[in-house]
Amino acid sequence: MNIASFAPLAVVLPILGAALTFLLIRHSRAQRTVSIALLSLTLLLECWLLASVWEGGTAAVSIGGWLPPWGIVLVVDQFSSLMLVVSSAVSLAVLVYATGQGMADGDSDAPVSIFHPTYLILVAGVSNAFLSGDLFNLYVGFEILLTASYVLMTLGGTGPRIRAGVTYVVVSVVSSVLFLIAIAMIYGATGTINMADLAMKLGDLDQGTRNLLHVLLLVAFGIKAAVFPLSFWLPDSYPTAPAPVTAVFAGLLTKVGVYAIVRTETLLFPGDTFNSPLMVVALLTMVVGILGALAQSDIKRLLSFTLVSHIGYMVFGLAMSSVAGLGAAVFYVAHHITIQTSLFLVTGLIERRAGSSSVDRVAGLAKLSPLLAVLFFIPAMNLAGIPPLSGFLGKLGLLQAGVLLGTPLAYALVAGGVLTSLLTLLAIARVWNRAFWRKPEDAEHPDPVLLAAPGGESQGTGGAGTSSARHTVSLLPRTMVGSTLALVILGVALTVFAGPLFRLSGQSAAEMLDRSSYIHAVLGDEVTVPAPPQPVAQGGGK
Amino acid sequence: MSVNLTLLTVMGVLYACGIYLLLERSLTRVLLGLMLLANATNLLILTTGGYAGLAPLFAKDTDPGAYSDPLPQALILTSIVISFAVTAFMLGIIYRTWVLARQDEIQDDAEDLRVAETPSFDAEDDAVIPEETSEFPLPAVEPDAGGTILAGARQMPASEAAAEERPGSRTTAPNQEGGSE
Amino acid sequence: MITVLAVHFAVALVAPFLFRRVGRNAFYALAAVPAGSFLWLILQHDAVYAAPDAPALLVPWIPDLGLELAFRMDALAWVMSLLILGVGALVLVYCARYFKNKDSNLGGFGAQLLAFAGAMFGLVTADDLLLMFIFWELTTVLSYLLIGYARTRLAARRSALQALIVTTAGGLAMLVGLIMLGSFAGTYRISALLQQAPELVTGPAAPAVATAVVLVLVGAITKSALVPFHFWLPGAMAAPTPVSAYLHAAAMVKAGIYLVARLAPGFAGTDTWLPVVLGLGLATMLVGGYRALRQTDIKLILAYGTVSQLGFLSMVVGLGQPDAALAGIALLLAHGLFKATLFLVVGIIDHQAGTRDIRKLSGVFQSSRALGVVAVIGAASMAGVPPLAGFVAKESVFEAFVHHAGTGPWGVVVLAGVVVGSILTFAYSARFLWGAFAVKDGVPATRFKAIKPAFLAAPAVLAVLTVAYGLWPAPVDGWIQPYAALFAGEDAPDAGHLALWHGITPALGLTAVTFALGLAMYYGRGAVARAQELVPGWINGDRAYQQTIGALDDAAVWVTGRTQRGSLYFYLAVILSVAFLLPLTAILLAGKPLPADLYVIDPGSPLQLVAGAGIVVGALAAVRANKRFLAVLMVSVTGYGIALMFALQGAPDLALTQMLVETIILVAFVLAMRSLPAELRDRTGGRYRVVRIIIGAGFGLTMIFVAIYALGARVATPVSLDFPRLAYDGGGGLNVVNVTLVDIRAWDTFGEISVLALAATGVASLIFVRGRGDRIRSSGSVDEGTVGRLAAPAHSRDGAALALSRRFAASTKDAWLVAGRTLAPERRSIIFEVVTRLVFHSMIVFSIYLLLAGHNLPGGGFAGGLMAGLALTIRYLAGGRFELREAAPLSAGALLGIGLATAAVSGVAPLLLGGEVFQSAIVQLWLPVFGDIKFVTSTIFDIGVYIVVVGLALDVLRSLGAEIDEHFEEQSDAAAGTTPGGNA
Repeated sequence: MNIASFAPLAVVLPILGAALTFLLIRHSRAQRTVSIALLSLTLLLECWLLASVWEGGTAAVSIGGWLPPWGIVLVVDQFSSLMLVVSSAVSLAVLVYATGQGMADGDSDAPVSIFHPTYLILVAGVSNAFLSGDLFNLYVGFEILLTASYVLMTLGGTGPRIRAGVTYVVVSVVSSVLFLIAIAMIYGATGTINMADLAMKLGDLDQGTRNLLHVLLLVAFGIKAAVFPLSFWLPDSYPTAPAPVTAVFAGLLTKVGVYAIVRTETLLFPGDTFNSPLMVVALLTMVVGILGALAQSDIKRLLSFTLVSHIGYMVFGLAMSSVAGLGAAVFYVAHHITIQTSLFLVTGLIERRAGSSSVDRVAGLAKLSPLLAVLFFIPAMNLAGIPPLSGFLGKLGLLQAGVLLGTPLAYALVAGGVLTSLLTLLAIARVWNRAFWRKPEDAEHPDPVLLAAPGGESQGTGGAGTSSARHTVSLLPRTMVGSTLALVILGVALTVFAGPLFRLSGQSAAEMLDRSSYIHAVLGDEVTVPAPPQPVAQGGGK
Repeated sequence: MSVNLTLLTVMGVLYACGIYLLLERSLTRVLLGLMLLANATNLLILTTGGYAGLAPLFAKDTDPGAYSDPLPQALILTSIVISFAVTAFMLGIIYRTWVLARQDEIQDDAEDLRVAETPSFDAEDDAVIPEETSEFPLPAVEPDAGGTILAGARQMPASEAAAEERPGSRTTAPNQEGGSE
Repeated sequence: MITVLAVHFAVALVAPFLFRRVGRNAFYALAAVPAGSFLWLILQHDAVYAAPDAPALLVPWIPDLGLELAFRMDALAWVMSLLILGVGALVLVYCARYFKNKDSNLGGFGAQLLAFAGAMFGLVTADDLLLMFIFWELTTVLSYLLIGYARTRLAARRSALQALIVTTAGGLAMLVGLIMLGSFAGTYRISALLQQAPELVTGPAAPAVATAVVLVLVGAITKSALVPFHFWLPGAMAAPTPVSAYLHAAAMVKAGIYLVARLAPGFAGTDTWLPVVLGLGLATMLVGGYRALRQTDIKLILAYGTVSQLGFLSMVVGLGQPDAALAGIALLLAHGLFKATLFLVVGIIDHQAGTRDIRKLSGVFQSSRALGVVAVIGAASMAGVPPLAGFVAKESVFEAFVHHAGTGPWGVVVLAGVVVGSILTFAYSARFLWGAFAVKDGVPATRFKAIKPAFLAAPAVLAVLTVAYGLWPAPVDGWIQPYAALFAGEDAPDAGHLALWHGITPALGLTAVTFALGLAMYYGRGAVARAQELVPGWINGDRAYQQTIGALDDAAVWVTGRTQRGSLYFYLAVILSVAFLLPLTAILLAGKPLPADLYVIDPGSPLQLVAGAGIVVGALAAVRANKRFLAVLMVSVTGYGIALMFALQGAPDLALTQMLVETIILVAFVLAMRSLPAELRDRTGGRYRVVRIIIGAGFGLTMIFVAIYALGARVATPVSLDFPRLAYDGGGGLNVVNVTLVDIRAWDTFGEISVLALAATGVASLIFVRGRGDRIRSSGSVDEGTVGRLAAPAHSRDGAALALSRRFAASTKDAWLVAGRTLAPERRSIIFEVVTRLVFHSMIVFSIYLLLAGHNLPGGGFAGGLMAGLALTIRYLAGGRFELREAAPLSAGALLGIGLATAAVSGVAPLLLGGEVFQSAIVQLWLPVFGDIKFVTSTIFDIGVYIVVVGLALDVLRSLGAEIDEHFEEQSDAAAGTTPGGNA
C-alpha cells in the first residue's frame, strides 16, 4: 500500500490530540505534553511525506477505500506536502510559545484548557485544506479551521476581541456561504466535486459557464486570502487576538486561501486565464495594503497590513502563470508563513516587555533588550526584502518572472512590487527608529514602565524592581524567546537552503501547471488529461 | 438538466432577505440574516439534485435515477450541522456583547477611526533638527576643571553647555541641508 | 576570496563578546582582519596581473534564479580592494582611540563596521550582478545602522532612515535594471555580460537595454550621492566621524563610481549613458563645491567636498575612454586617501576640542603641529597641489577632458565645468585648512587636549601614502593600465601614463588657472560669503525628500481612511457587491440564451409551491419584525418550511435533521436572548436601507440566474448515480444518505464533528469566560427550593402569594425529578415535571434507535444525537440546571472528547489492520437473543458522532441555559439585597 495511506494521519493525529486534551481538561500540564507531542509527531509524518513525494511523485489516498470520483481523496503532491511541513513547523513553534505565555501569565487571558484542543483542531483543519482533493471536503477543511479560529479569536471574551470576533465571524461565514454556492453550482454543472474529476470535466463546459464558476470560486477564496477589495476585514480582526493566535492566523489562514486560489487557477481552470484581472488585483492589494501599513502606529496592525500587502506578491506570481512566477510564489508563501509568524511572535514579546505594541509608547528597546532587537531586526529586514534574506530571494524570483513576461501590465506589477518593498522597508524602519532607538522620554506618550525600567539586560529579570503587576508581564519566558528564536532561525535557514527550496518550488509549479501527475495520481494512469482549453474571452468576468 | 424555478425563487427571496438583515447594526438581525443565507444555500444545493424523487432508501429493483440525488443531501446535511454550530457560537457572542456593553449593536473599529484622523505632522519625521557641531559634548571638563568650561567663545556653566548639545535647545536654526550659516 | 569574506563576517559575529571582554582595544583585533586580508591581497598581485584572465571562483547557490556565488579578482576589483581593506584597517585602528570604553554598544558598532568592510570587498569582487546587488544592499543596511549609532539623537535616527530609504530606492530601481539586463543577456555573470554588451547595445533590444542601463545608473547615482540625491550624504554626517571617513568618503559612496566603472567598458556606448553621467556629474560637482564654501562645520565642508568630488569622479570614470579610465581610477584612489585623512583629522579635532564649528575653532595649529601637517598634506592633495597624489590624478583627468573637448561643443562645456569645479575645490580646501587651524582674531584660542600618537597614527599613514603616491605614481599606473586597456579601440586615444611631470601641457595650464582663481576665491572669501548670502538655496533635495515622504503619509492616511472604515457594514457591502457583480458580469459577457427546460411545478411534488410560499412569507416577516422573538420565530418558520421542502423533495433524513436543529436552535435563542430587550429597532435607516435593498435584491436575483445557467449546463451524469449500489454493496446499508455520511464521505463528517466540538467549546468559553466551566455542584449540595427564587417584599401582596405557593410545594413530598426539589417552588410546574419524567427516557431510547437504525432507515448519529439533546433540553427546562447535571453526569468536555476519540480511533484502526483510513467492514455475527446480526463497523463512527452531538447540546444548555441562570440569580440577589426584608 502506498505511503499516502498515512497522509490522513496529518489530520487525524491532531484531532485525536484534541480529543485527549478535552478529556484532560483539568490538567493543563498533561494537555501541554499531549498537544506538543502529537504536533511534533504530525510534523515528522509530514516531513516523511514530503521526502517520499520528493522521490516518488504525487500520491493520492482514497479515504475508506472508496475510489474517486465517489469517495474523498487526499492528494499529496510537492506543493501540498511543502505547505504541510512549513505550516506544521510554524504551528508547533507557536504552540510552544503559547504554552510559555500560558505558564507565565498564570493563564490570565488565555484559558489553555480551551486553547489546546481548539488549536490542535485548527492545525488539523489547515492540514485537511492542504491535502483535500475534493472540493466539498476543502469546504469542510475551511470550516474546521474557521470555527477553530472563531474560538481562538474570542478567547477571554474581552470587549475588543468580541468586537473583532464579530467582524471576523460574519465575514468568514459569508465567504463560506459563497464557497458553498460555488460548490453547488459546480456540482450542478458537472455532477462531480472531486477535483481531479472536475479537471477532466470542466473542460467540456462552454467558456461562459466556466468563467461563471471560476469567478464564483475566486471571490470565495479571495475573501479568505484577503485580496483587495475583499481584504478590509483582516486588519480589524487579527491584531486584537492574543499574540500567538494572531501569529498563527497571520501565518497560516490567509495562505490557505492563497493555496486554494492556486489550485483553482492551475488545476481546475487552466487555459481560460484570468491573468490580467488577477494582475490588477495583485497590484492593488500590494499598494493599498502597504499604504495602510504606513498609516499605522500600532505594530500589530502595521504587520497585519503588510500581511495583506504581501498577499499581493503571491497573487503576482500566480498571475504570471509561468513556472518561474508560480515557483517564486510558492517559495514566497513558504517564506511569508515563517517570517510573518515570527514577527508577530516578536511583537508579542515586545508587548510583554514594554506593556504596549504602539510605537507612540514603546521606545528604547534596543538598549533595554538587545536580544529582542536582534529577534526583531532579522525577520523585519527579511520581510522588507533586504538581501540576501529569503524575502529578497522570493521577490527576486517574482521580478524575474515579471520581466520575463514583459507585458506592460507585468512591468507595472514589477514596479508595484518594487515600490511595495520600499514602502515596507520604510514602515518597518520607522518602527525600528521609534520603538528600538529613540529614548523612552521622547515617545509621544511615554510609557511609565519603560521610563522606570532599568537599562540593563532584559532577559528574565528585566522587569524586576518595577511594580509587581508589571513584573509578571515584563519577564520574557525562555520558552517564548526560544520558540521565537527557532522561527527566526528557520527564516534564515530558508535563505541558506534557498537553492534546493527553489528547485522544489519550481518543480511543484511545473507539476501544477502540467496537471497530469495530479490527475493520474487520483484517477489512475489510463485517463488522458485534456489539454487546457484555449481561452475565448480573455479574462472575461472581471 | 432541468431547473426548478420554485426552489430558486424561494432561494432568491431568502438571499435577499438574509442580506438585508445582514447589513444591519443589530447583532441579532445579523445572525438571523446568516441563518437565512444558510437556508437559502441549502435550497440551492437541493436544486442541483434535479426533480424530486424517491427517498434514497435502497431497494433492489429501483432505477438509480428514480431516487432524489443522495449526494447533495449528504452535503446539505453537513452544511446544516455546520451552520447549527456557527449559530450556537454566534448566540454566545451576542450574549457576551450584551453582558459587556448592555447592547447588541456592532461597534465600529476605534483604531481605524483614529488612524483616519492622523495629523500629517509627526515629530519624529518633521520636527526641526537642532544643529549639532560635535559628538563630544563637554569635552574639556576634567573633574578638577570645575563647573564652567570654555565652549567656543562663551564662558558658560557646564550644565548649559550640555543643554546646548541636546535636541531642541537654544541653537541656531538650521539652514537647508543641515549646514549652518 | 570567500575565506576573506567569511573571516570578516565570522569575526563580526563574535565581535560583541570580544568588546565585552577587552573593551575598546578589541578594535585592534578587528583591524587585524582587513589588515591581514590586505597583505593577502598584495600577495595576489602577480596572480591578478600576470595571468591571462583574472582568478575567479564559482560556487552555485540558487541556479533557478541564476544567482551564484561568483567572484572574480581583476585589476579593477584588486585596486578597489586595496582601498577598501587598507582604509578599513586604518579606520578600525583609529576607532580604538576615538571611542571610550564607557561608550554604549561598541560591540555592535565594531561588528557592523567590520561586516561593512567585508560587504564592500564582496561588492567589488562579485562577478554576478545579483550577488553584487546583495552586497550593495548589505552596505546600505549596515550604513543605516552605523549612521544611527547615536540612536538617541533625532538627527542620527532621521538621517539614517533618510540614507536608507534614498539609497534603497535607487537600489531597487537598479535591481530591476539588473534583472532586465540579465534576462536580455541570458546571464547574470558580469564578465560574460560585458562580452555580450556590444551585441546588446546595438541589437534589437537596444532601447530596452538603454532603459535598463539608466535604471542601473539610478542606483549608482543615489548610492554615490549625485544630484538630485546628493542630500542624504551631508545628513549622514550625523554618523561618528570614523564611519563618515570610511563609508561616506573612502568606501561606500565609491560603490556607485565602481558600478559605473564596471559597466562603462560595455555600456558607455548607449546613447543615454553620457548625458546622464556627465550631466549629473557636472551638476553635482558644482553644487557640492558651491555648498562646501558656505558651511561652517568643518565636517560638513568635507561632506559637500565629497559630494563634489563624487560628481567629478563619475564624470571621469563614465567617460568611457582609456585615458579617462586611467585618470578616473587614479583620482578615485587619491580621493580615498586624502578624504579619509581629512575626516580622521576632523574626528581628532572634534574629539579634542569638542566642536567642529569654524566660528569656535581657533589656533588649533599651534596646539598640535603634527595634526596640522597631516591635514595640510590631505587638503593640498585635495586641491591638487604638486607633488601629491591629487595633483598627479587631476593632471591626467584634465588631459582626458581636453581630449574629450575635441569631440564637440558639449565637450568644451564639460571641460569648462570641470575647471570651475576644480577652482571651487581649491577654494574650499583652503577654507577648510583656515577654518580648522588658523588663528582667528576675536575668537579665543580653542582649548585643545594633547593627541596621543596612536590616535594620530592612522591619518599620518594615509598622509604618507598620499605623498608617496604623488612622488612615485608608476606602480599605481601599472595597477590601473589593464583596466584602461578594456576601452582600447581603434579610434580611442592612448591611455597615457600617470606622472608627476608631463611637460608643458594644456592640462598644466588649466591647473595653473585653477590655482590662481582658487587662491583669489580664498582671499576674497568674505565677498564670496556675502554673494552666497544673496543667492537663495535653489536645489534643496532635503526639503524635497521631506515633502515627498509627507505627501506619501498623507496619501496613506487618505487611502486607508477611505478603505479601512472600521465598519462591518461597509466591508460586507463591498464583499457582497463584488460577490454578485462579478458573476453577473460573467453571465452578461457570456450572453447565452436561457436554457429551455425550466419548470415551476415539480410533477413529483406540487406541494412545494405551498411550502415555498410559507417560507417566503416567513422570511419577509422576519425582515419586518421589530420584536426580537417575533423575528427569531419567523426565521425558524422558514427553517421548518425548508424541512417540509426537503420532505417533499424526497429527503427524509434532511427533513428530520432540519426539524430537530430548528427546534434546538429556537430553544437556544430563547435561552440566550431572554435577558435582551424585546424591542428590535432598525438602526441603520435612510440611504443605508436603499443600499441594503439594492445589494440584497441584486444578490438574490443574480444567484437565481447563476443557478439557472450553471444547472442548465450540466453535461455529464452525476457521480451520485452509483451511490445507491455502492451504499448497499460496499456500505452495507439501505439508507444511502446515511451510508454516504458515515462511510463514503465519512471524512467530511469527521471534520464536521470536530467543528461541532469547537462550537461547543466556543460557546462555553464565551459564557464561562475562564475555561470550560465543567464543574457543576451536584444537586445534593443545594438547599431545597433555593434555585431561581423571586425576590419580592415579604409584606406586600405578591409576597404573601409567594409564601403560600411555597407552603404548597413543600407539602408535595414525592419529587418526580431528582433535582426538582432544588428549584424554587414558584418556578416549579408539577405537570411539566411529570411529563418530563414520562417522556425523557423514551426520547433517549428513541434517539438510540435513530442512531442504530440510521444505517437502513432515516436517522443516524446526527438525528439521534439531536433527539437526545432535545430530551436533555426538556429535562433542563423542567428541573433547572441541577436537574441537567443529574441527567448528564458527564461533563460536556468529556463527552466531546470521548466522541471525537471514538470517531478518530474508528478511523485509524483500519489503517493499522492494513486497510485505508475509515475503511469499513461488514461483520456477520450471531448474538444469543438477537440472532444473526449484520454489523457494519462504520456504526462505531456514527456512535462517535452521536456522542459529540449530545456533547454540543449539553454545552449549549449548560452555557446559554444554566450559566445564564446563575448570572441572573446573582443579579436578582444583588437587587434583593437592597430591598428591605427581601429573600426572607
